Amino acid sequence: MKMADASNAVKGADPRDAQAGHPAYASVGHPVLRPEDERHLHGAGRFVADIAWPGALHLAFVRSPVAHGVVRSVRAPALAPGESFWTAADLQDVARPIVAKLNRPGFQSAPYPCLATDRVRFAGQTIAAVVASSRARAEDLAEQVEVDIEPLPVIASARAAFEADAPLMHEGWSGNHFMKFTRTFGDFEAAVACAEVHLTRRYRMERLAPSPLETRGCLAVFDRAQGRLLFHTCCQRPHIQRDFLAEQLIGIEQHRIQVVVPDVGGAFGVKTNLYPEELALAAISIKLGTAVRWIEDRMEHLLSACQARENDEGVTIHANRDGEILALEAEYLVDGGAYSMLPSTSAVEANMSANVMPGPYRIRNYRATAMSACTNKAPTGPYRGVGRPAACFAMERTLDELAHVLGIEPHELRRRNLIAPDAFPYTSATGLVYDTGDYPPMMDTAVRAMGHGEVRAAQQATAPDARERIGIGYAWYVEQTAHTAKEFFARGSVVLYGFESARIKMDISGSLTIETSVCSHGQGHATTLAQIASEVTSIPMDRISVRAGDTDVVPYGNGTFASRSVVLAGGAVHQACGRLVERLRVIAAHLMQVAPGALTLGAQAVHGPAGTEPLPFARLAQVALQYVHELPDGIEPGLEFMSSYRPPVETGAFSAGVHAAKVAVDIETGAVRLLDYLVVEDCGQTINPMIVDGQVHGGVAQGIGQALLEEIRYDAQGQPGTVTLADYLLPGFGEVPEVRIEHQHTLSPFTAYGMKGTGEGGCIGGPAAIGNAVTDALRGLGVSVTRAPVTARDVWMALQAAGSRAGAGDPPAEPAYTWMPPQ
Amino acid sequence: MNAPRDATIDLQLTVNGHEAKARVEARLSLCDLLRDSLHLTGTHAGCEHGVCGACTVLLDGQPVRACITLAAACDGRAVTTVEGLSGPLVDRLRAAFHAEHALQCGYCTPGMLVSAVDLLERKPGAEEDEIRRDMSGNLCRCTGYVGIVRAIRSCAQG
Repeated sequence: MKMADASNAVKGADPRDAQAGHPAYASVGHPVLRPEDERHLHGAGRFVADIAWPGALHLAFVRSPVAHGVVRSVRAPALAPGESFWTAADLQDVARPIVAKLNRPGFQSAPYPCLATDRVRFAGQTIAAVVASSRARAEDLAEQVEVDIEPLPVIASARAAFEADAPLMHEGWSGNHFMKFTRTFGDFEAAVACAEVHLTRRYRMERLAPSPLETRGCLAVFDRAQGRLLFHTCCQRPHIQRDFLAEQLIGIEQHRIQVVVPDVGGAFGVKTNLYPEELALAAISIKLGTAVRWIEDRMEHLLSACQARENDEGVTIHANRDGEILALEAEYLVDGGAYSMLPSTSAVEANMSANVMPGPYRIRNYRATAMSACTNKAPTGPYRGVGRPAACFAMERTLDELAHVLGIEPHELRRRNLIAPDAFPYTSATGLVYDTGDYPPMMDTAVRAMGHGEVRAAQQATAPDARERIGIGYAWYVEQTAHTAKEFFARGSVVLYGFESARIKMDISGSLTIETSVCSHGQGHATTLAQIASEVTSIPMDRISVRAGDTDVVPYGNGTFASRSVVLAGGAVHQACGRLVERLRVIAAHLMQVAPGALTLGAQAVHGPAGTEPLPFARLAQVALQYVHELPDGIEPGLEFMSSYRPPVETGAFSAGVHAAKVAVDIETGAVRLLDYLVVEDCGQTINPMIVDGQVHGGVAQGIGQALLEEIRYDAQGQPGTVTLADYLLPGFGEVPEVRIEHQHTLSPFTAYGMKGTGEGGCIGGPAAIGNAVTDALRGLGVSVTRAPVTARDVWMALQAAGSRAGAGDPPAEPAYTWMPPQ
Repeated sequence: MNAPRDATIDLQLTVNGHEAKARVEARLSLCDLLRDSLHLTGTHAGCEHGVCGACTVLLDGQPVRACITLAAACDGRAVTTVEGLSGPLVDRLRAAFHAEHALQCGYCTPGMLVSAVDLLERKPGAEEDEIRRDMSGNLCRCTGYVGIVRAIRSCAQG
């Protein structure tokens, strides 16, 4: 089937920018449909597991069955010809252990070997690998491997890591922490002394698995003749992955490694790391001189891919009786797992939470303690939102508690503390520079759109013995996006993600190819980057193609993460297209014999003064690429323009949002039902509002998962209890309602078109907004939400403990959450 | 039946309207047969134990999880994968998924389409609640389901 004008179809004019008083654009700001869709709708997408490679062997890992122990022996299975077995000793001359570092005082590193050397530190850690002609055969052989492990005492929680008798997790460490620090900002003690109200609360956000539907996987092809490694993998940053591989592999430099990233089936941060599995696969391919494939199964993914959060938080707000926050104190204790992931480290969650806690509020006096504990669990690292969902949960839940204590409406309390519109650029207590924002109208929009007054009236009208109680809750966040080198340097990051690149090529027909350094895993870069190119050049979308994900093809850059691609890669496309257009003008001016300033651009042509024939791009391209004798003196032939965009401000463009949830809680069963969910978001000028809405909807679904369902569980022996998608529950059709979105467009002063990033915001507010709504519903019953996810069982147990009503008998089995009304 | 692990079975089945022959291990899944032997990689493995629905295909017109369906059980039967879906309803669904931004990374999309075709063939006038219930065997981690529900609803009659 041919899509009706697929690549260039527009769903209808988007009037929002004109309404907001911003210039209307021809392509930017329109909900252009995605050219990416067609291949996926026909099953023709190509993911890493789909790449056919004749003769490729298959690898399966032998993983630790215990959380902590010393590997005494590993016995190989009986191998047939062509099969091979690998342990750490076999790879030590090819691969160095991964060591993730952070340039911050007190940070402790430890080697994370691609196959365990002596100790295993979490259940699921790779011990050995088997290579055979099929995955099934490799798994059979892996089952036959005999591993003798002498168990060691297990650290199964962050608190246990700091107990006096806890075993030391890594040699030479001064305690079981990756990092811990306390920092004080402003005149903290004086502000506390002035405060009239001091409110302390504790919360916990459970451990999560980012869980893209496509697991990890790679296909390594070492070509002995060329001495080159071709490494297909599903990752978010091809060049950075190549750099890491070159750093870890002994005897092969970057220029002999090509990383190719095909379609990526979701990532959400989990595919930013260099994994031991990837390194082992590359090393084994080099050793064997052949192609080897590893496609992870879901159990491996839930055992050993990067996990996130597990953040225990303590918050104290010091305020006056009007609700003005005078000082804020927060403590984050994160269970970082057994090893730091390269490159973000296991300190990323606690450090980020500490850094962003003040959010949209005018808080000048702040003390933060961040501790990242090392335990016998899977390593942790970045997952969509990083640190912010937990910070938002603690901050916003406590604001509602304060509002309740002071007898102020929660939205009014927030309004009293929001940063004023005229305070931008605003430097936060922790030194973040918010470029622009206009927060109070967003609060007004949320309150109006949620029908706040009607909810309060309905609560008033609820009978005292009613079984179902409704509640409303809000949660704010700011989202730092598109920040670059200086900002990452300040955080102590070893890799500084300073820019993104684009190479624009015009061919002789006047059509365009964009080669970009960012790497989509569903964000629709082939659409948005082409929209920006179309805007600058007037070339229609269906004459522009976008290439990404091949280090031999695309220019160097850092990839896709941290809500940065549209601003930075879009900025690079904008800049490179500007150079192309300038060149076309110069050539046209020469051919027309007029000054370049007298020319205008439009409809794929350069237009001269009235009465002259416009020169189509195809004609100008012909001159630049073929009839070069017609070029003006001093102008090089060719129409390729490479641009690396480093924003003039390195601290980022700040998006913001407020989430609002309305829930019904059944106090017999503890079941929570989402009645309404609203997002008011501001990411400046949107390039494609349809894609922005998609990012919000998808993010909110993950936020709802965190709020109500998702939880990686370990027992006291460090044995994982959630190793399938039947145990680790992702929200489905019945759990995610149709989320409403309201937009505001406060432009960034320094980015092209005033755009800001928006990839993560959707998943930040859910646990806090829903936690606040559930608490609001249960006011007067002695129950408040302190944990995410908040399950029916939690609510039921809390109601029982408070002596409030709850059904008799056993607590409900988990999970009992559904958005759907009973059938 | 206690077939030895290395027992092989000769199969003949119809895949997307074409006859296919294969000699398979008794334990081979339909998903692996389709992907590895027949090179129909549009059927995606997401969880390999029947939860996520990414591998959904039609077996004699009924949706099944290819990851937990044994290839050996498909002898003499007809399999339709995303590559073989065709007809006016499928065309409308594909166009609607595109128009409603019902996919981001595209990994769950083949399974979603197969389940949606089955749903609308059974319930041509499905309302939103029915769509959400009947599609609940398919997971998407990117879209929040909004676009998928809208796309299917837009193809339902009435």
